[in-house]
Amino acid sequence: MRKIPVFTAALALVIAGTAACGSSSSPSSGKGGQAGSAAAFDPKTCQGGTLEVLNQASISKLDPARIYTSGGGNIPSLLFRTLTTRNRLPGQEGAKPAPDLATDLGTPSDGAKTWTYHLKDNLFFEDGTPITSDDVKYGIERSFAPELSGGAPYLRDWLVDASGYQGPYKQPEGIKAIETPDPKTIIFHLSKPEGDFPLLATATQFAPVPKAKDTGVDYEKHPVSSGPYMVATFEKKKTLDLVRNPHWSAATDPLRYACPDKINITAGLESAVINQRIATGSGQDANAVTTDTTVGPDQLAQLGSNPDLAKRVSKGEFPATTYLAFNPKVKPFDDIRVREAISYAVNRSTAVNAAGGTAVAGASTTFLPPQKALGYQPYDYFPAGATGNPAKAKELLAQAGYPNGLSITLDHEADDADNLGPKLATAIQDALKAAGITVTLKPSDDSGYRDVTGKPSTEPGLSLQYWGADWPSGGPFLIPIFDGRQIIDSGGNFNLAQLNDPAVNAEIDAINQITDPAQAQARWGALDAKLGQQALTVPLFYEKDVYLFGKNIKNAVPDGWRGQYDLARISVK
Amino acid sequence: MIGYVVRRLVGAVIVLLVLSAVVYGLFYAGPSNPALLACGKGCTPDHLAEVKSAMGLDKSLGDQYLSFLHGIFFGHDYSSGPSVRSCPAPCLGYSFETDQSVTSILTSALPVSASLALGALVLSLLLGVGSGLVTVLSGRRWLDRGLNAVVLLGYSTPVFLVALVLLIVFCSDLKWLPFPNYVPLTQNPGQWAQNLLLPWIALALIGSASYARMTRAQMLETLSEDHVRTARAYGLSERRVITGHVLRGALTPLVTMAAIDLAAIMTSAVLTESMFGLPGIGHALVDAVHGGDLPVIVGVTVAAGSLYILANALADILYAAIDPRVELA
Amino acid sequence: MTQTVLTEEAAADPGPSSPPLPRAALWRRLRHDKAAATGLVIIAVMVLVAVFAPVLTALEGQDPTTQHSELVDSAVGTPLGAHGGISGSHWLGVEPQTGRDLFARLVYGARISLGIAFGATAIQVLIGVSIGIAAGLGGRLVDSALGRLTDLSLAFPYVLFAIGLMAIVPDSIPRPLVLAVVIALVAWGGTARLARGQTLSLKTRDYVAAAKLSGAPPLRVARREILPGLVTPVLTYAALLVPSNMIAEAGLSFLGVGIRPPTPSWGQMLSQGTTWFRPDVLYVLVPGGALFVTLLAFTLLADGVRRILDPKNTEVAP
Repeated sequence: MRKIPVFTAALALVIAGTAACGSSSSPSSGKGGQAGSAAAFDPKTCQGGTLEVLNQASISKLDPARIYTSGGGNIPSLLFRTLTTRNRLPGQEGAKPAPDLATDLGTPSDGAKTWTYHLKDNLFFEDGTPITSDDVKYGIERSFAPELSGGAPYLRDWLVDASGYQGPYKQPEGIKAIETPDPKTIIFHLSKPEGDFPLLATATQFAPVPKAKDTGVDYEKHPVSSGPYMVATFEKKKTLDLVRNPHWSAATDPLRYACPDKINITAGLESAVINQRIATGSGQDANAVTTDTTVGPDQLAQLGSNPDLAKRVSKGEFPATTYLAFNPKVKPFDDIRVREAISYAVNRSTAVNAAGGTAVAGASTTFLPPQKALGYQPYDYFPAGATGNPAKAKELLAQAGYPNGLSITLDHEADDADNLGPKLATAIQDALKAAGITVTLKPSDDSGYRDVTGKPSTEPGLSLQYWGADWPSGGPFLIPIFDGRQIIDSGGNFNLAQLNDPAVNAEIDAINQITDPAQAQARWGALDAKLGQQALTVPLFYEKDVYLFGKNIKNAVPDGWRGQYDLARISVK
Repeated sequence: MIGYVVRRLVGAVIVLLVLSAVVYGLFYAGPSNPALLACGKGCTPDHLAEVKSAMGLDKSLGDQYLSFLHGIFFGHDYSSGPSVRSCPAPCLGYSFETDQSVTSILTSALPVSASLALGALVLSLLLGVGSGLVTVLSGRRWLDRGLNAVVLLGYSTPVFLVALVLLIVFCSDLKWLPFPNYVPLTQNPGQWAQNLLLPWIALALIGSASYARMTRAQMLETLSEDHVRTARAYGLSERRVITGHVLRGALTPLVTMAAIDLAAIMTSAVLTESMFGLPGIGHALVDAVHGGDLPVIVGVTVAAGSLYILANALADILYAAIDPRVELA
Repeated sequence: MTQTVLTEEAAADPGPSSPPLPRAALWRRLRHDKAAATGLVIIAVMVLVAVFAPVLTALEGQDPTTQHSELVDSAVGTPLGAHGGISGSHWLGVEPQTGRDLFARLVYGARISLGIAFGATAIQVLIGVSIGIAAGLGGRLVDSALGRLTDLSLAFPYVLFAIGLMAIVPDSIPRPLVLAVVIALVAWGGTARLARGQTLSLKTRDYVAAAKLSGAPPLRVARREILPGLVTPVLTYAALLVPSNMIAEAGLSFLGVGIRPPTPSWGQMLSQGTTWFRPDVLYVLVPGGALFVTLLAFTLLADGVRRILDPKNTEVAP
C-alpha cells in the first residue's frame, strides 16, 4: 500500500539543540519510564489517564470507507472494529490475523471462493444499537461510492460482479456478492479463490456503519464507533479527542486493552518537535507517543549516552520497500541492460544514509522486504556492493550502445517527508554520476506526483517509489506491482513496470488458491526471485520502524504486523 | 482632516482591490494546475473533477475573481454533487485539502501572530527607545559608539540565527526555559507569556536596533530645535525640557512606525514562527506552500496584504493627526 | 527578512544630491574609516572566494556534490572523526548524513548566495531607477500612476508574496535565476522611490533645465543629465540592498522554498544544520558564520559610505 501521506513542511527546526530542554518541574508520575516488559504489565490494572498522541500527518480522513490501513491501522482501530484484526503481538505471531467482530477467522468453502463469518454476541455501537451483519455489509458497500474514494482496492476485483458497483447512494440494492441471511451471519462470494481473505478482512472498509446514521461525506465529522473509544471532538488537520465508548465491552474484545480513559491526538506538528517533546517529556508530554514519526538523528545520536532514552525506544519492522521504478515503455529503460546498469550503479550506503541511517533503514536487494511472513528469499542479481559498482555499470551501458554515458531524468517528491524526496534523489544522482549517467532531478509536489506516476500514459521513465504490505504476505506486496490485470490506465496504477506476463498472472492465481501460509510464502518468495531477474525495479532499502514513547508509557511493544506499538494496548499508568 | 482620512482610506481600498486582483490572477493563471494544487495531496481523478467544478475553475478568470470578491462579502457555497461545503462571509477561499475555509484557518492563526507581534513590538520599543534615550541623554561618547556597533550587529543578523542562538543558550545549555510550545492567552496567560518569551526576545533584539537609531536621530534633531532652545532660555529645568518638549516631538514618528511594524511583524514573521513552531499566519502559509494548497496561499496572501495596507493607511492618518506640520495634500 | 530599516531610512533621506565628490577624496576618506574599510576587505575576500570556488575546491581535491558514506556514521549520520570530520582532505569536515565536503559546499554556496544577492540587487536597481526616472521626468499622470505602482510594491508584506510566488514557479527554470527575479520583483519599491526623489530634485537644477530648454529628447536628458547624479545615492542604497537580498535568499532557502539540493546555498545549509546542531556544531557554525560575517561587512561598508558622503555628518564614526 502507499504510505499514508504525511503533510509536513520540510522545515528543520532548532530542536537538535534543545533535546534536553525542559523544566524538571513537570508532575510526571514517579512510576518511572520502564519500557513495557510484558511481565510487569497487567492489563487489568492499567485503566486511567490521558494518552497524548503527537503526529505529523494531519488527520485528513476519518471515514472508514476512505481510510487505507494495514491491519486496521493504529488510530482507526480505536474507533473501528473489523471482522478480523491483526493479532497485536510481537514477532511472527503478530503477523497473523485474529477474530475481532467475528467469532473466528472465517470458514472457507467452494475452494476458498466463499467465506462465511459469524458475528460475536453483545456487540454494540456507541449509541447502544446492536451491530449486525447488515451494518458490515453497508460499510463495505459505501466504500464503493466515488465520493468516498480511498482505501484498499482489492474488493472491487475479488467480489463477484462488484467492479462496476457505484455505491449505495446510487444503487441502493447493494452488492449481491455479500449475503446476510441473518443479523449474525455474513457471506462473501468471490470470483476466484483467495486464501488471504481473512487478512483482507482486517481492512477498515470492513468496519460496520449504521445506515440510519450515514450522512455521506459528512459522516467523518462524527463516525459512529464500534471500538473502545468514540469521538469527543474532531478538528480536521489539528486535533482528535477520543473518550471511552460506553457500549464497548472488553469481554468481546480480548485484543484491545483500552487503558487510557482519554486519547488526545494532535496533528500537524514538526517531526523534530515531536521527537524532542517525547524525549524531554515535560508535563503532559510524559504521556506522549507518536504513530507516524520515526526517531530523528538527534535522539539517535543520544541513545548511546542516554540510557533512560534508550529504554523508551520501540523497534519494529513494517514490511515496506523503497525502490527505483522503471517504466520500460520509455527509452532507454526498455533495454534491460540499461536497467541492469543502473542496478549495478546504485550506492545503497548513501541511500540508506539519506533515509536517516541504518537505524531506520536497511539496504535491500530484493523487492520483498526481509520479513519471513512475506516469504522473503534473498537474491542479488546485480551486486552493487556497499557503495555501487560503477565499472560494471559502464560496461553494461557500453554494451547497450551508450559508451559515453547516458542522460536521464529522475522523478521524485519535492519534500523528504516520505523519504522519496530530494535527499534520496541526490544520493542516487551522485551514485549514478560515477557510472557516467547524468541524472536530472525532477521534483514534483505530492499531489502531482501520484497523479503523474500512477497513470501509465504520463508515467516517467524513472521514479522513486515506496510500497508497504497491506497485510503480511507476499500477495499484497507483489500483486498490485506485478500483476498485469491490476494495471489501471485511468490513474491510480501501482504496476509501474506495466508488466502483463500471462505466466506471472497464472502463478499469482495459483498461489492465491493456497490456504496454507507456509506453502504460499515459499511460492511468493520464488516468484519475487524470478521477477527480480528482469530488473523492473531497483530495490534500495526496507524500513525499520523506530519510535520513541513517553516516560510514563507502558507496554509499548511493537507488533509483528505494523512494527509499531499499539495505541489500543499501551497504558499511561 | 476628514477629507484626508477619506482620501487615504479610499486610496487604501483601491490598492487592496488591485492587490487582490494581482494575487488572484498571478496564482490562478500562473503556470500551474490550480485544481490539482487545490485538491491537495492524495488527489484522485474523481476528487479532482469534484474540486474543479466546486471551485468554478471552468469559468473565465475574470468571473472567478469576481466570485472570489463576492465571496468575501457574502460568503460562498462550494457544491459539487451531493456534498456542499459552506464558506460563510468573509470567505477567502476554501481549502479542500484540509476541508475548512481559509477564514477559519486564519482565525486560529491570527491570535498567534498577533501575540507574537504585540509582545515583540513592546519589547522592541522598550529596548530600542530606552537605549536610544539613555545614549543621547547621558552624553557619553563610548555609549554612543557602543550603541552604533550593536545597531549594526542587529542589522546584519538574520532572525533565524538569533533564534537559533537563543534556543541553544537558554533552552539547551542553561535550561532556564522550556522549549516553546504555544499556549493561547485565554487558556493560561502565564504559560502564554513564558512560551512566547524567546520569540519576543529574538524579534526584539533585531527590531530594537532601528528604534534605537531612530530615537537617537530624532532626539538629536529635536534637541537642537528652536522651541527647545526657547524653553531652555526660559530657565526650565533640563528635565522639564526633555519630558515636556523634546520627547513628544522625538517620539511621535516612532508611534506611527510602530503601527506599521505591528502589521509587518504579524505578516512577515514567518521565519520566527517556523523556528519556534508557532502556528501563526506565516506558518500557515508555509504549510500551504509545501502542501500545494492554493486557496490557502491566495487567501492568506490577500488577507495579510490587506492587513499591511490598512495598517499603513492608519499610520499615515495617525501621523497626520498628531503632527500638524504634515501636509494634508 | 523585511527590508532593513537602513534601506528605508536611506530611501527617505538619501543624502545630498550634489555632484559626486572627486574619486580620490572618496577613497581617502574610505581608507581612513576603519569600519568601512574592513567591510570592503571582507566583501572582496568573499567575492574572490566565490569566483575562484572551482580552483579552491580543486586544491582541496573535493567537489560539493559527491557523497562519502564512509565518512559518516552509518547508524546515526554524524561525521566520523573529531570536529565534524576535519582532515587534510576535508578542510572543514563533512556534512552529516551525506558526507559531502563542507568546504566545497561553503565556497560554492558563496557563489549562489552572493550571486543571487548581487543579481537581485542589479535587477532591483534596473527596475527601480527606470521607474523612478520615468516618474520624475514624466508628467503628472505618469508620475501619479507609477507612484501608485510603487506604493503597491512598498506597502506589501513581500515575504509572503515571495514565498507564494516560489510555490507556483515551474521547476524547469533554474532556481537561482528564479530567486533573484522574485526577490527583485517584490522589493524594487525603495529604489524607485529614491530614484524618483533624486530625479525630482535634480530636475530643478540649472543644467537640467537648460538641457530641456534646448529641446533635448527626454531620454537623452535622462541619460546625460539625471543618471550621473543618481549614481552616488543609488550605489549607496544598493550597498544596503545586497545584504537585505542575501537575508531574503537565506530565509527562503531556510524555509525550503528557495535553493534546492544538491545545489549548496548558505541558507539551505543552515536549515539542515539546525537539526544537527548537537551532534555536529560545525555544520551550523560554518554557514552561519559565513553569512553573518558577510552581512556585517556589507552593513559596515554601506554605513561607512553613507557617513563619508554626508556633509551634514552628525554621526560619530566608530
